Amino acid sequence: MENSNSYSPYSSSSVDSTKPSPSESSVNLSLSLTFPSTSSQRETSQDWPPIKPRLRDTLKSLRLRQRGYNTALFVKVYMEGVPIGRKLDLSTFSGYKSLLENLSHMFDTSVICGTRDRKHHVLTYQDKDGDWMMVGDIPWDMFLETVRRLKITRPERC
Amino acid sequence: MDLRLPSKVLEHILSFVDSNEDRNSVSLVCKSWFETERRTRKRVIVRNCYAVTPEAVARRFPEMRSLTLKGKPHFADYNLVPDGWGGYAWPWIEAMAAKCPSLEELRLKRMVVTDECLEKIAASFKDFKVLVLTSCEGFSTDGLAAIAVACSNLRELELRECIVEDLGGDWLSYFPETLTSLVSLDFSCLDSEVKLSDLERLVSRSPNLKSLKLNRAVSLDALGSLLRLAPQLVELGTGSFSDKLDQEAVSKLSQAFSEMKELKSLSGLWDVLPEYIPLLYSVCPGLTSLNLSYATVQMPDLVELLTRCSNLQKLWVMDLIEDKGLQVVASSCKELRELRVFPSGAEGLNDTNVAMTEQGLVSVSEGCPNLESVLYFCVQFTNAAMVTIARNRPNLKCFRLCVMEPFAPDHKTQKPLDEGFKAIAERCKDLQRLSVSGLLTDKAFEYIGTHGKKLRMLSIAFAGDSDLMLHHLLSGCESLNKLEIRDCPFGDTALLENAAKLETMRSLWMSSCCVSFGACKLLSQKMPKLNVEVIDEHPLETRPDSSPVERIYIYRTLAGPRLDMPEFVWTIQKNPEIGVSHLAIK
Repeated sequence: MENSNSYSPYSSSSVDSTKPSPSESSVNLSLSLTFPSTSSQRETSQDWPPIKPRLRDTLKSLRLRQRGYNTALFVKVYMEGVPIGRKLDLSTFSGYKSLLENLSHMFDTSVICGTRDRKHHVLTYQDKDGDWMMVGDIPWDMFLETVRRLKITRPERC
Repeated sequence: MDLRLPSKVLEHILSFVDSNEDRNSVSLVCKSWFETERRTRKRVIVRNCYAVTPEAVARRFPEMRSLTLKGKPHFADYNLVPDGWGGYAWPWIEAMAAKCPSLEELRLKRMVVTDECLEKIAASFKDFKVLVLTSCEGFSTDGLAAIAVACSNLRELELRECIVEDLGGDWLSYFPETLTSLVSLDFSCLDSEVKLSDLERLVSRSPNLKSLKLNRAVSLDALGSLLRLAPQLVELGTGSFSDKLDQEAVSKLSQAFSEMKELKSLSGLWDVLPEYIPLLYSVCPGLTSLNLSYATVQMPDLVELLTRCSNLQKLWVMDLIEDKGLQVVASSCKELRELRVFPSGAEGLNDTNVAMTEQGLVSVSEGCPNLESVLYFCVQFTNAAMVTIARNRPNLKCFRLCVMEPFAPDHKTQKPLDEGFKAIAERCKDLQRLSVSGLLTDKAFEYIGTHGKKLRMLSIAFAGDSDLMLHHLLSGCESLNKLEIRDCPFGDTALLENAAKLETMRSLWMSSCCVSFGACKLLSQKMPKLNVEVIDEHPLETRPDSSPVERIYIYRTLAGPRLDMPEFVWTIQKNPEIGVSHLAIK
């Protein structure tokens, strides 16, 4: 049985459009994002494992308490080329959008997620393994758990 | 000679027939039996609010006293159904207010209930007695106040896991001093603090109060005084169990608990501190139901509690109980019927894996002969364990295993979990509900299709290889009523080939699968008695037929396509190309 399980649970929706037939068994199982909910109570909720919202919320607040963060989560933010950094409490943001808005305001320039290009400042982060990663690939909650510091890269020059 | 039973006699006979299943059979005998039955049915249950119109129900059962309704599909509990999908209670309440003003009881599950709904209930049903809302949303504490102030014969008000706009604890003060009929009150899902003095007065003037479930904001101190006022409680949901109390307060609370001779069910226990666990010892021997899902108590303290619960039939607990704790359950709780173990690690609570494995469930299956219902969250599992469990407990009726690591194989043999689920399906002949997980091939579903003849509800996530999986299930499981699937790689072919089966089921949910838009249209055309709902955030008009849709929800209905769909829900009438266009849906 050949299952090309590229299991990255939160990659963007792209179910393979080739129709699987019983004999064919290589299917790309990229899982789709949950439909963005309008209810603020569910803004950063995941849908796996299947537990009810109340239990999920209880576990979330317990986790934050256990980690001794007292629900605050301060990380250092540097703009590439600028020696003095800032400190930011990530727990005050509801998601990537508000983080980017705030950083853009703080550093007085537009900051985005995504690949480096000539025009924009791109946000990257160092995770708990010490690797530098692109911000925005993983759900916000997971990001909060793994982020250690942030860096805003300069626009590329030719 | 007229051999027909006089309707008065039939009425009298039917007054002894309580079960709706039996009443449904009675109504099929002949027209006059249908008529007599429908005029005498008091308790009406509609398990899919879109399967039939409120007017039709009200017309058929004019003497209705109790109505139970269910709205959203089960996967809505896990955020898989977008907000605004539907499930509105209003049309039902409006219809009942007009046609069945003697309605006394309303039980709603997964429905959208607004303050207007609650106000309408309060204004329309003079003898309203019971309101139970489970997993509902859309209302605020103002709506509760409306119920409290107007329903002078209120017996039960239960909010189970609802999402309520909490505007404060004042609503409780609206219960009039003349209300003395309360039997059950559950406000455990609310956040705000209610006024303790109002709560105490309400409890003191409710001699029939049997069930009281407090919210987290009720302090431990307050609990003490409430228990002293209501030692007759059969069900108790405590508030927060973590305030620091002085020695006198602790011994008073202990005394209060020991006075509760009738207590059978205990829940709440938020943040319970280990040093307060002994307070519960006196009630343990009488308990038949214990819900510790919010109690992050570690294994040693849990063990102390559970060794004393020799009559326990239902236990809900976190996996902090570990295999060791479940062994204690196996040896102490011989009456156990239902076990649910929830994952404390779901939100990263435990960075290292908790010492709970498949072994815990195996122990309980060995030690508890009456075990018939299981919900078990575990990181990984083995075939051998499932085979053992099936051999120990062929009497299982409900087996829901959630292997949290998607596609996780048997962690000892690295094989798929096919053989394990085969054993469960084969040996547990009365199995009605099954949830599968872990690495599974089409073979697993072939086994389930072959053996799961009594299976009514099946949940599947991240499994299978191809359309065969769905085909096995739809063609094999004769009693299949509800099927819910997420993230599995199929299945236009199986769906279209087994279209007729779908009319024998209540509903089918598929999300993040490979069902194409074209297949949905075809199915919709082929099966007019089904509502085929495509729930998708991207506009469908411009999509090619072969493009997969995000979610489909298919259910049988007598009511035709519904008229309250939001933008992101589509059924065939929306598409003018198909030709059935005079029903213009927004």
